[in-house]
Formats: sequence, C-alpha cells, structure tokens
Amino acid sequence: MISLHWAAGAVILALLAIGWVMIHGGLDAAATFDLYQRHKSWGFVALVLTAGRLAARWLSASPPAPASPRWERRLAALTQGALYALTIGAILSGWLLVSASPLPVPTRFFDLFVIPNIPPSIAPPAPSLFAAAVLGHKLAAWAIALLVALHAAGALKHHFVNGDDVLKRMLPRRRRLAPRA
Amino acid sequence: MLEKIMKRARIVLAILGVGVLAHSCMAALAAANWRIDPARTHIAFAIDSVGYPRTHGQFRQFQGRISIDFAHPGKSSVAFHVKSGSVDVGSQSFDDYLRSVAFLDSERFPSIDFVSNSVAKVDDHTVRVTGDLTLLGVTRPLTVDVAVEREGSGGRLAFLAKTSIDRLAFGMNSGFPLVSRDVELVISSAATES
Repeated sequence: MISLHWAAGAVILALLAIGWVMIHGGLDAAATFDLYQRHKSWGFVALVLTAGRLAARWLSASPPAPASPRWERRLAALTQGALYALTIGAILSGWLLVSASPLPVPTRFFDLFVIPNIPPSIAPPAPSLFAAAVLGHKLAAWAIALLVALHAAGALKHHFVNGDDVLKRMLPRRRRLAPRA
Repeated sequence: MLEKIMKRARIVLAILGVGVLAHSCMAALAAANWRIDPARTHIAFAIDSVGYPRTHGQFRQFQGRISIDFAHPGKSSVAFHVKSGSVDVGSQSFDDYLRSVAFLDSERFPSIDFVSNSVAKVDDHTVRVTGDLTLLGVTRPLTVDVAVEREGSGGRLAFLAKTSIDRLAFGMNSGFPLVSRDVELVISSAATES
C-alpha cells in the first residue's frame, strides 16, 4: 500500500513535469514528439498504479485517522478522494483527447507495443470532443498540482506542527539497527 | 612568293583547326551530365502545426541526375528520386509515424519523384525548372526557381531551390487544418562535371 502510494505519487509528479515541459519548454518538434510519447506511456502506468491503489484500498482496512479536528479530517479525506478522482479523470481525458484528435498519433508504450486508442464509435475524431477533452485534461492537471501541494502541506503540518506519526508511518520502515556491543 | 603563300595557308589552316577544335569542345559540353555530390545534397522540408513546434526534417536517401547545356539551357534536365522511408526529423519514433499511412505511406509509395520537363534561364544565376512531382502516387506540376552558383574556377556548381507544395493536392490530408497544408521545401545540392 505504502510503496504503491509513493510510486503513484512519483509517476504523477513526473507526468505533471513532462506535461508542462512538452507544452511550454520551447523544445523542437522531435523532442516534443518523444516527450508526448513518454507522457502517454507514463499516463498508462499511472492508470495501472491508481487502479491498483483503489483495489488495495477496497480490499484492506484503512489505518485509523489521527486525532485531528473534524474539519481537518474532512479536508484530508476530501483531498485524497479528489486526488483519486482527478487522477482517473486526467488519464481518461488524456486517452480521450488522443483518440478524438484530428491527428490521432498511436501511443507506443515505451516503444514496446501500441496501446490502441478509444474506438471511434465511442470517441469519434471530432473537434468539439477533442477541445472538451483538452480542456478537461488541463483543468484536471492543474487541480492535481494544487491538491498534491495541499496533501503534502497537510502531511508536513502533521509532522512539524502536530508532532504526530502521520507522515512517519507513510515512510518506508527502517531496518532496526543492531544494538551496539 | 610560293613560300609566302604556303606560310599564309598554314596560318589559315591553324586558325581553322583551332575553330574546329573549339567547336568540338562546345559540342562535348552540350547537355553534359553532372555528378551530384551526395554529401552536399540536402532535401529538406518544414511544416507548421497549431500548438506544436515547426517540424524540420530531411530525406537521407535519393538518386539524382543533372544534365546541363549552357548554350541551350532549355535542353538541360534534372531528375530526383527520393526514398520516402529515409525521412529523418531527429526522432526514431516520429520518423516511424511519418512513414505510416498517416503521411508518407512509405510501404506503398517508396519513392517521391521529381522529373523536369523544361528548364529556362531567368538570369545569369537563376534557372526556372518546370516538371512533375509524384508523391503518394499522385503527379502534379511543379515549377521551381533554382539559384546556380559556380564554385571556384573548376567545373563545380552549387544549387539552391526553395518552394512550397500543397500536400492536400497529393491526398496527404492527415491532421489538416491542425497541421498546415503547405510544406516548405529547401533543396540544396552541389555537382561536378562528369
């Protein structure tokens, strides 16, 4: 569960960074094309990781909530729920915009195999659908960036202000040091 | 007296001889083939897209033939056969995409051909080449002004041609209007007399 959290977090941050650079980085056409392919490949990795996290959350019991004020617990739950929803939304809108694009470029998953687009019967290459998917993808990405910041700020507040173990218990378990002779 | 006549006759013959030699040299020059220097030949293109950087690329493999008749420029000719699969935009993955049916369809149409029909001199440094361009199996007329520069004193020429083509006229419709219909072409070459 914990390693899935950090893996998904790292992939989502990488997706935000790649997404920003490929649009605003001023790169040439070839580098931009390669970054788009990387972004799409990592997007599908994020989809698998997020689905895995949701399944794990469904199947196992959540750890007890810390003794925080009710509004904080609610805000934390809302932020975490929104992050799940927005991550799935961003990935699906990304897949949709690739599929409905006037120029559908096949997604080559790390140059290993092609991930098919959503079939035209569901996502026809229509400019209006494409524009809506692009807008949805961008809004979801910015919202994720904001919520990740809020999520991290909450974790840091628990550690430094409250002095509890909320952040600590999310860190990899350290090997117990052997007692000194 | 006889000696004087003989001497003049020799001079006349000598002048005639030089003239004949010069004429035969001119005949040899007529529509001479020039050897294209592949290292100095670049068949480059550029295309714009909305919300995407300008794509620059070139074709790495081609065969060409240039034949020049300085006395009668109209008898000059040029032909280029470009391997469409040799497209290179600086990314393997992007090249593969351009080779696909979306753009060059290289498997079905391995060659892009230009064959001239006529060449006309515009000025001392420019010729206008009119010919047929075949892309994706569709042939359309194309007229290009080619700048020609003689390099050094030897028989070496440099060529530069810039033009643009409408890809829709060849049935290359993918991505339009997101991807521009105009494709800019810049062809530079150098050739030596063979």
